[in-house]
Amino acid sequence: MNLTDMIILGFSNLWRTKLRTLLTTLGVVIGIGALTSMVSFGTGMQKNVTDAFKNNDLFTSITVTPKQVNIDEIASGSVSEIAETLKQESVPLTDSMLRAIKQIPGVEIAYPNMEFPARVTLLGDSTSLRFQAMPAEMKKYKPFNDMLAGSFYKTDSSGCVVIREEILSRFKIRLENDDKKIILTKEDSAKGVKILSPDSIIGKTISVVSLSMNTSKIPNALFSLLRNKPEVPFEETVTELTVCGILKKSGPFGSDLFKGGIIIPTGTAQKIPKLGFSSVYDLLDNKHKKGTYSSIHVRINDLKRMDEVKKALKDMKVGVFSVADQLEEIKRGFLLLDSMLGAIGAIALIVAGLGIINTMVMSILERTREIGIMKAIGGSETEIKMIFFVEAAVIGLIGGIFGLILGWIVTKVANLVMNAQILPAGEDPLSLFYFPAWLILGALAFSLFISLAAALYPAMRAARIDPVKALRHD
Amino acid sequence: MAILSVSGLEKTYKKGKVDIPALLNVTFEINEGEFFSVVGKSGSGKSTLLNLIGGLDRATAGTIIFDGNDLRKMNRTELANHRRFSVGMIFQSFNLIKSRNALENVELALIFGGVPRNQRSKKATDLLTQVGLGHRLTHTPDELSGGENQRVAIARALANNPKMLLADEPTGNLDSETAGEIIEILSNLNKSRHLTVIMVTHDLETAEIVSDHIIRMKDGKIVELPQKTEVL
Repeated sequence: MNLTDMIILGFSNLWRTKLRTLLTTLGVVIGIGALTSMVSFGTGMQKNVTDAFKNNDLFTSITVTPKQVNIDEIASGSVSEIAETLKQESVPLTDSMLRAIKQIPGVEIAYPNMEFPARVTLLGDSTSLRFQAMPAEMKKYKPFNDMLAGSFYKTDSSGCVVIREEILSRFKIRLENDDKKIILTKEDSAKGVKILSPDSIIGKTISVVSLSMNTSKIPNALFSLLRNKPEVPFEETVTELTVCGILKKSGPFGSDLFKGGIIIPTGTAQKIPKLGFSSVYDLLDNKHKKGTYSSIHVRINDLKRMDEVKKALKDMKVGVFSVADQLEEIKRGFLLLDSMLGAIGAIALIVAGLGIINTMVMSILERTREIGIMKAIGGSETEIKMIFFVEAAVIGLIGGIFGLILGWIVTKVANLVMNAQILPAGEDPLSLFYFPAWLILGALAFSLFISLAAALYPAMRAARIDPVKALRHD
Repeated sequence: MAILSVSGLEKTYKKGKVDIPALLNVTFEINEGEFFSVVGKSGSGKSTLLNLIGGLDRATAGTIIFDGNDLRKMNRTELANHRRFSVGMIFQSFNLIKSRNALENVELALIFGGVPRNQRSKKATDLLTQVGLGHRLTHTPDELSGGENQRVAIARALANNPKMLLADEPTGNLDSETAGEIIEILSNLNKSRHLTVIMVTHDLETAEIVSDHIIRMKDGKIVELPQKTEVL
């Protein structure tokens, strides 16, 4: 008996008990549906994160810090390593160091980390934001090479800035959408929310109020403390800049907003009076010296040269950190998440497997005489076994296919429900689920495997039936 | 020339710790093309003997040499092949698959026999036509009379051109007229195809008409091995 005959025979046997086959298959459908929707959530999260990293070119980025830090050792809680790091003498990240880094083969661009807070006014509305200084060369790289409107600044001393799309809402600006007409709610109108086209914002002036230390005010500040009327020794400076570009949203997981909502040319940033630190930690670090940077961002021209560049940097006794290093760790984390979600789905499938065993055992009891007849006319044990395996495989495969469809529908509905919640808040639609080819094929293979495993005992039992007894069976 | 040689055949069933002998030292030979009948009362061991010759069961002792091969030395697959190609079996209760029609029941044997799909339907139709059921191909066993069901069973038994037909009480469930028709079919097959037939029956009278040789069994033993005229 060849495989085609077995498949035809299997189908016809299942067709005879339609309702039972349908219910058993439904168990597999639900099992695979649960499994795939859960795992697709895990893979969707992973894809969103890795895509965001890729879109922001983070895999080719290196952050250089003054101290050599072994992230893995610290993460593992090695007390001696942390103590060692604290004891280490810092290598100051100076301009000469920056020049040396730029000379390393493979380094495309290197610039110091410069961030500062400021109060910004745009089109009559003000908000407090962080500025991030960046050289004009960054316009070549993702995500800065893909602007929503306008363009990235051309020179490091130009008086124009790039605004991230995400922060426009803080200036009560909603952008026009070609696909969907935006209608303001009464609440929005009362707040004074404006609907503008992205292009209309380009060329507009922003007023930047930055804070800097005024040393002459320090004695007054001290006296004021004594008088119990505290005064701060700071001075406000107003700088006028122009908006030359709006940067597209970087996606739900790629947002770099914590670094700064407005990107400013390095040269321009240096001219703006501001507090001489980029974070509170700089203030706390008594070794922080004027003319040094807290960190330096490095971009390499080819991911393959990552190790080479990192080695050269480590030789300069500075701390080196790259996202690429953490990718494996991130992947491991997602694997754990996928496994947990998969395990929950697998439970449903195992229950479905028990359903298959039950169906098959019942089927054997009902078909004992038929099995005896098949043996009497020459059916071998292997063929009888195979007939049952084929029946289970058909249930597994059909259940797998419809389970995938069910899983896909469930994830689509879940996405729709979730987006219905976040879209009114002005967020971009999210796609939290992802069905990669391996998940589709893997789910089908798993469904098939569970079904065949479930048929193992019934098939063996059927094959071992004594034909003489079976022929007497009613 | 003997196609089947049975020697010192014994079969014992175990029920708990008790051994129940079903066959005791059974010895006989059947020549090719012979119509051989085994008569005896219920429980005499004749069906057990047929099951052992058909390879449905294994003997406890003795030998069954079929066409030069010892059935007791065969493994399970070889026994399945013996049932598939060497012998065809028909039973008192027909043993047809109720959910399949006449044509499909015969085709099932052809499937096990490895007959290509494009030849199966024609071959099954031919076989059913030969037993007079060319007009009842798509009828299921429930839609056929007892005699018709037995004809389907005969057609199925002949599907893979066996050398021997084993008939276990083939007329036991039939009225005398229909029984006569079935016996006639078996007799014709024996004569026209030179097909060896072993028939187990209660009906000594019928056996005497069609058989070349008859053995009578009692309590698992052959009690007489007479010539045809002596049995009468």
